[in-house]
Amino acid sequence: MKSIRTFRRGGIAVAFGTTWHDLGPVPNAFLPTEATVLLRQHQGQAARCVVHKGEFVREGAIIGRARGPSSSNVHAPIPGIVKDIRVMAMSEGGESEAVVIALEGSFDRLGRRPERYLWKTMSRHDIMHSLDERGVVETEAPGKPINTIISEPRRIDLLILNAVESEPYLYAESSLLRDKWAELLDGLAILRKVVAPERTLIAVETGKAPLLKASPAADEPQIEVMEFRRRYPQDLRNQLLEAIVGHRPKTDLEVLIVRPSTAFAVFEAIVHVKPMLERYITVAGAAVKRPSVLKARIGTSIGDLIEECGGFLGRPSRLIIGGPFRGHAVHDLDVPVTKTTAAILALTDSEIRQQARCSCIRCGRCSVSCPEHLDPDLLFRLLTHGREAEALQNRLESCTLCSICGHLCPSRVPLVAAFSSRLGAMERKPIGARG
Amino acid sequence: MKASRDLVMGPPPYVFSRQSTGTWIWGMVMALVPVFAWGLFCFGPGAALPVASALFAALAGEAAGGLFLGKFTLWDGSAFLTGFLIGLSMPPAVPFYIPAVSALFAVVIIKGIFGGIGSNWMNPALGGVAFALLNWPRQMGEWVVPRHLAGVTGVSGATPLAFVRDRIAAAPAGSDPLGLLAAAGMKFSDLDRLIREFLNNALFSRIGSDLPSGYIDLLLGNRSGSLGEISGILILAASIFLLSRRIVRWEIPASIMLSNALIVFAFGGLPYGNGFFTGDVLFAILNGSFLLVTFFMAPDPVTSPSTRTGMLIYGTGIGSLTFLIRTFGSMSEGTAFAVLLTNCIVPLLAASPGRSAQGLERK
Repeated sequence: MKSIRTFRRGGIAVAFGTTWHDLGPVPNAFLPTEATVLLRQHQGQAARCVVHKGEFVREGAIIGRARGPSSSNVHAPIPGIVKDIRVMAMSEGGESEAVVIALEGSFDRLGRRPERYLWKTMSRHDIMHSLDERGVVETEAPGKPINTIISEPRRIDLLILNAVESEPYLYAESSLLRDKWAELLDGLAILRKVVAPERTLIAVETGKAPLLKASPAADEPQIEVMEFRRRYPQDLRNQLLEAIVGHRPKTDLEVLIVRPSTAFAVFEAIVHVKPMLERYITVAGAAVKRPSVLKARIGTSIGDLIEECGGFLGRPSRLIIGGPFRGHAVHDLDVPVTKTTAAILALTDSEIRQQARCSCIRCGRCSVSCPEHLDPDLLFRLLTHGREAEALQNRLESCTLCSICGHLCPSRVPLVAAFSSRLGAMERKPIGARG
Repeated sequence: MKASRDLVMGPPPYVFSRQSTGTWIWGMVMALVPVFAWGLFCFGPGAALPVASALFAALAGEAAGGLFLGKFTLWDGSAFLTGFLIGLSMPPAVPFYIPAVSALFAVVIIKGIFGGIGSNWMNPALGGVAFALLNWPRQMGEWVVPRHLAGVTGVSGATPLAFVRDRIAAAPAGSDPLGLLAAAGMKFSDLDRLIREFLNNALFSRIGSDLPSGYIDLLLGNRSGSLGEISGILILAASIFLLSRRIVRWEIPASIMLSNALIVFAFGGLPYGNGFFTGDVLFAILNGSFLLVTFFMAPDPVTSPSTRTGMLIYGTGIGSLTFLIRTFGSMSEGTAFAVLLTNCIVPLLAASPGRSAQGLERK
């Protein structure tokens, strides 16, 4: 009998969002006639543009070279003519140069049989070099290049393939787990070759469609599968480890956590010798006619993807990139898909349930449900009174911005807004106070 | 492709919980409507006067305070609920100025001066009721018998609690509260007799026991008392709504009822000259404002603890103090004071103790 694990404190049961039925294999989204490729889709500095206006680029050709630490290469997702190179606002804030490619010419990869590179003969160094070259970054904000994570010379105790998608609406990782099991195992094997972990496990959530058709035991005896209860924020590092280890993890436990989409990108980069050109994206929300998971090229506009899901049903009040708790709102359907776009949500008023802000009634739901043992109400009051030092004494920096307090607050006090602006300010400092 | 201009921006979360302060407060008000209707049925349309004057005074006080402080808070409903609860806790024939002054005191002094909703340490509605009880003890002790029991409107008659309390000193050993009521010639309704006979024949006779007269009347609300407190069954029905919509967390009502039941059962028989473990639990729970306070006032999120342990301690405090005040206090009813006393220890039960009501110590 398998035990179902969960973290100890706080959190919420996720009983809303899109109900997913067995979708069938994930379809490819239509190719964009024009792809807008941001040169900053990763944590570090924007890549240096290596193409010029009017130049023809092939599918998968490099258009931006990594510049500085945590920066990454950017490739052309479609073949075509570079129509424009311009600076544009990024949806998550800040600006970046972007290359606009108008679709033209023939595809080098699409419709052809993918290569199957025999990676097992590759050295650790070769693998890391290839991942770097092919622009593989983590598929979640802030988009750390996978190399910066795995290249550190340290002993990894635990490698976790984190398929827990505890935010409501999201389903792309689960779809990958269902469709690309063999590929994910290969991706995991490549990572294991690089980091040589003591123990490898796959974290899945119960209650979603029976995803694991294949059993890992048959393929990879060293890999464990662990089931987790569907509860937000089970997918965050602390909650995941708390559920696995049973208590707050010791500091000397070295853990590497990767998403299935990241592992899949690793697989494609090494085995198919393919740069990161596309990704799985959930398109959902009550304002979307046919919520689906699509495989879309980087640079496709989110408007095109919503169109492909039947367009809007009713009037969306919020357009969100990412999940409803950790994503960010956008107001423009021209925003392009990047390597870290996990979902596009169009939400209606009735599912948002925003209300006018009212005074705190000290119901205490924020502090009771905080997975990090914080007192959000106290922190908020300290921050609004400008007493940041005391807020830090009360462990403001361990806030993970999971947004549970803000979600539950019956008076709709803008708790998360206060924490994120403060933590964001700390992060931007060159030598940050965050430990 | 441009989306419409009314897309909302800003940081997460982008979806919110179903519950909001507004749904809590208006949910409570809705749950009180049937209770109020039963009060009107029992005491006639004139009984709407205390409720109306309390509501008017509470809303006027909130609006005036809002003007003074420059924030308009009438729509959050908290003043409406406070006024409604104060009106429902008044004797039906009380002079109109008593609920009005009490509601004004509750909204302006207890709540407003501390900074409005969320900043008061004392339950406003119960504070207002206590204010009335202490200032006008005579008018607050004049009760009326429901008109369908007396036959005419406006017959005065003590509440069962007060009735029993006056006679307890002279009670023969071995008596019980309902026996005292029956011996003093208190009238019970025909419905009570009918249901009692049916239950006795169908159920209790088979297990060798007998349901005495009175419990059914107490449950249905055929007794003297305030507008809102008399109908136990309607309050219990409302509690299903409140608990299922999570407007009220179960911990507080459950611990109040359980602790009171245990203490009454253990010690409630002693004043009658009976031994331990002979107390009449049903009589204690169905009488006075116990149920109304348990489900509508004690769980007020502002003045109750937020952790589960805190809630259980708070509820146990209220349940036990109610027994003590009812037994040894100068008044027959003590639930309101039990809550107000327990409100004082709530800061000690907070998730992070040592915080003042405003959350910050002054420098």
